[in-house]
Amino acid sequence: MKPNRLFQLILDHPKIVLGVTLALTVFFLAQFPKIAIDTDPKHMLPETSPVRQYNDQVERDFALHPDVIVLGIVNPEGVFNVRTLTRVKELTRAIQELPGVISRDVDSLTTVDNITSTKGELIVKPALGTVPQSGAGLSVLRKSLLGNPLFVNRFVSHDATTLALFIPIEPSVNGKEIADKIRSLLPKDSGGDTFYLAGDPVARDTFGTEMFRQMALFSPIAGMVMCVALWFMFRNVTVIIANMTVAMISIIWSMGGLIALGYPVHIMSSMSPVFLMAIATDAVHIFNEFAFRLREVKDKRTAISETMKVVGPPVFYSDVTTAVGFAALATGAIVPLKIFGLVIGFGTLVILVMSYTLVPAVLMLIPEKHILKMAQAHGKGPNEGPSWLSHLGKFCVARTKPILLAGFVLFVVAVAGLSQIRVNNNMVHWFKWKSVVRTADRVMNEHLGGTSTAYLVIQAKDEGAIGKPALLREIEGLQRELEKDPLVGKTFSAADYVKRVNQVLHDDSPAFDRIPDSEREVGQYLFLLQSAAKPRHLDNVVDFSAKTANIILQLKSWDAGVMKKVIARADAFLKEHPLPEGAKVKPAGIAYFNMVWNHEVLWGMLTSFLWGLVLVLALLVFETRSFLWGCVSFLPLLFTIALIYGVVGLIGKDFDMPVAVLSTLSLGMAVDFAIHFVSRFQQRYREYPDLKEALIWTVARPGKGIFLNAILFALGFAVMGFSALTPYITVGILMAAIMILSSVMSVVYLPALIHLFRRWLLKTGPSS
Amino acid sequence: MKYLGFGLVFASLLSVSGMELGSAYAANSGEGSTVMKEMLLAYYYPQKDAQSDVFMRIVNRQGQSRERRLAMLRLDKTDGGEQFYYIYFHEPADVQGMSFLVLKHPGRDDDRWLYIPSIDLVKRIATSDKRTSFAGSDFTYEDVSGRDLDEDEHELLGEEALGEYSTFLVKSTPKRSGDVEFSYRKLWIDKTTHLPVKVEHYDLKGTLYKVYETRQVQSIEGTPTITKAAMKDIGSGHETEITIKAITYDVGLTPDLFQERLLRRAPSQWIRR
Repeated sequence: MKPNRLFQLILDHPKIVLGVTLALTVFFLAQFPKIAIDTDPKHMLPETSPVRQYNDQVERDFALHPDVIVLGIVNPEGVFNVRTLTRVKELTRAIQELPGVISRDVDSLTTVDNITSTKGELIVKPALGTVPQSGAGLSVLRKSLLGNPLFVNRFVSHDATTLALFIPIEPSVNGKEIADKIRSLLPKDSGGDTFYLAGDPVARDTFGTEMFRQMALFSPIAGMVMCVALWFMFRNVTVIIANMTVAMISIIWSMGGLIALGYPVHIMSSMSPVFLMAIATDAVHIFNEFAFRLREVKDKRTAISETMKVVGPPVFYSDVTTAVGFAALATGAIVPLKIFGLVIGFGTLVILVMSYTLVPAVLMLIPEKHILKMAQAHGKGPNEGPSWLSHLGKFCVARTKPILLAGFVLFVVAVAGLSQIRVNNNMVHWFKWKSVVRTADRVMNEHLGGTSTAYLVIQAKDEGAIGKPALLREIEGLQRELEKDPLVGKTFSAADYVKRVNQVLHDDSPAFDRIPDSEREVGQYLFLLQSAAKPRHLDNVVDFSAKTANIILQLKSWDAGVMKKVIARADAFLKEHPLPEGAKVKPAGIAYFNMVWNHEVLWGMLTSFLWGLVLVLALLVFETRSFLWGCVSFLPLLFTIALIYGVVGLIGKDFDMPVAVLSTLSLGMAVDFAIHFVSRFQQRYREYPDLKEALIWTVARPGKGIFLNAILFALGFAVMGFSALTPYITVGILMAAIMILSSVMSVVYLPALIHLFRRWLLKTGPSS
Repeated sequence: MKYLGFGLVFASLLSVSGMELGSAYAANSGEGSTVMKEMLLAYYYPQKDAQSDVFMRIVNRQGQSRERRLAMLRLDKTDGGEQFYYIYFHEPADVQGMSFLVLKHPGRDDDRWLYIPSIDLVKRIATSDKRTSFAGSDFTYEDVSGRDLDEDEHELLGEEALGEYSTFLVKSTPKRSGDVEFSYRKLWIDKTTHLPVKVEHYDLKGTLYKVYETRQVQSIEGTPTITKAAMKDIGSGHETEITIKAITYDVGLTPDLFQERLLRRAPSQWIRR
């Protein structure tokens, strides 16, 4: 047979194999300096996606800055004191001088004008000019600022305990670096003031930086933990080196390939090293069997050949299913997930190739002395090992029915949990509760309008339509309706500006806190606003031709669900109060964006998941050459996934992107154990057709490999549970749980199922 | 190698001569003030009074445009001193009749009044902010009426040929940096007419963000007059072009025209409706 000839060739020239592998690795390693990262949530969707294109258009049409950092200053005693106000003035100025900040568009009380009316005079001056030094002056200022609805909950909180600065930054700069520079400007002696930095660019770029640090920290730790575990399992340095080398090579090849192709590293692909290390533990099956074989045949080359003959096929199928499971991610629309799926898929194939080439070659090169020591060391373990594993095997075969009943009960509970699953995604929750970023976001949302932004764009048919009082009143009505949602902290639009001018021109009379009746009046007020305020502020809410208007919403939560509720509320209101002359409303902004890709993730993942299920089932059927065997091998996997996600639903953990992604990933990985179990059982049963004996043997011998693999896997991932970023924690813990659970499910339930369906399985299956 | 060496020598020569020039002029910063004063007089105070029709087009980054047409009356009380301005908007149609009256007082806040025809209201505006936009354009109020000479330190950096113009280059740095959004301006002033040819505005980080440019100069009744100019905002991509459609000097305007109560009934003798 050709593959066998090739394999013998590898055993003949192990050094050439090593050399070629090394050369390729050096090539991929050389790509690493070109690495780029991307944590912008907007890049979750492809550039061609209509949502992204429309969002860019809205930002252009209304001169909105896509990246704005918010600096909050909280003083529980009140911010209207000389010290805090002076600080705001100095800070604004210092921040304007920072490179990367769009200086002239920094919005702070010192850079925006407040228009007020006193004794029949219109007073236009910076909201915070010269800081008043007397108590009376301070209270006049306080009254005047809190009296301007355009400022309240935006620049100053209604209870006067918080001030905010809005700092737009250039699209090319790193938000975390700017945030760090702003932090260095903050006074050392706070004196009652606390400073908080929030906003999408801070969260995003802090995450990006942290992502690298965490991976640089946890990849080696996970590797070390696996090394230690491998030592306890095999007591052989070469095995450890071979295993870790396979992992490193697949990491270097796949990440290097990703970088070489010019793709940036996203949150998901940053986790590739840990995933590939875990997948590489598949080689444990080879070592496990090799150790057993070597003790039996005593000849290295024969032991390797025989090991590859029996372990080769399950290793091949388990790696292919893993690769397929990951590649299924590429069917979705979410760019980072596609890339991640392909990276790991490719890496898994590298591992597969290594299992057939590098691993046997390394085993060939191990000196005989070491090898015999290894065989003995491994032999010691199984003296105790098989005893309890074979007990377990006997138990499983003997107690088929109670085991299956317990499984059924668990399954029902899991399904109940599945129905409780809440789909949500919240970027800020990717940080821990006590982290600086999340604390800042929480505090700012407590005091001010909200750190997440959405736009509702009113598209009229004719130029000048926005200046019609009827439409402005509708916009105002919509705003009041949306503000009923407690998580909608602030809304503002052209209507608010027009109302403000109307009232100020009429000596601050509350009777004029409304949209004027004539279009001409509105037109003249808008004209005045263009000269009075910074023209950009008006540009943010109405376009040049007054054909489209923008309602800016500040949301107090980054939950995707909040935006969904906002849109539902807006739709309901517009159904009752349709906009005049066929004007339409279209949402945009980061909050809407998050909602859309959240939805895409869910459905994308669900489709990928279903495809993955079908593909894995098809592969299992193909591998076992039997539909029934395919289904039986499939059941532990299905059960594991139902149970894990049932628990996710029951404990109320949000089904967010990392969790959704795992559903697809776990498919290809968790099925491995069943593949090994069934494949090895069938081999054994063919040789010794005694069902009970064959089952117990399978639990005891390949079962050991399965548990070793699962433990290695779980240990590697469990390390991520100590990460500072919640997606890593989620992935770490869930992955470890999935692996442990699916190994237990395979080893416990497969004997029970095979025993239960023996009549059908063994007639159609390997009996021939 | 040779080429590079030559380049280096050339560059060092340049910097030496640049340094000499710089130090020669910096020693006498009074020259900068003189040039600026001449510019202010030529630009904002030509003749005793003026009656003009102005057209303004504001274009944003997407190429959308807004247009304004206005009439402007100016009367100087003293040359380089107090001035009266009357501004009446003809277009856009919905603001027709909106008017501003300004009594400019160098050295202190101006008196300004505003007339809003839709509610027939005259309002006095008290403002210390002269950097607000003029009618939504990229010109500020101060660009239109002149920035006080004493607000800045003026330094003559040298002489430069700019296109067909031979100019003085002046750097004006605000004395109180907290009040304005620029850290300094660079002005190229035509030696013959004393009119500005180009003005660059640098923000607080020293980055160029706004450029004024004279596009057309005509001699009106013997007075060199800028009849077309543009202000481009580099950050926002906005641009405003001002065109003087018609201008007449020394028409005989009198102070009694510039009164608050006349805002309601624009003087039809001077402002063609």
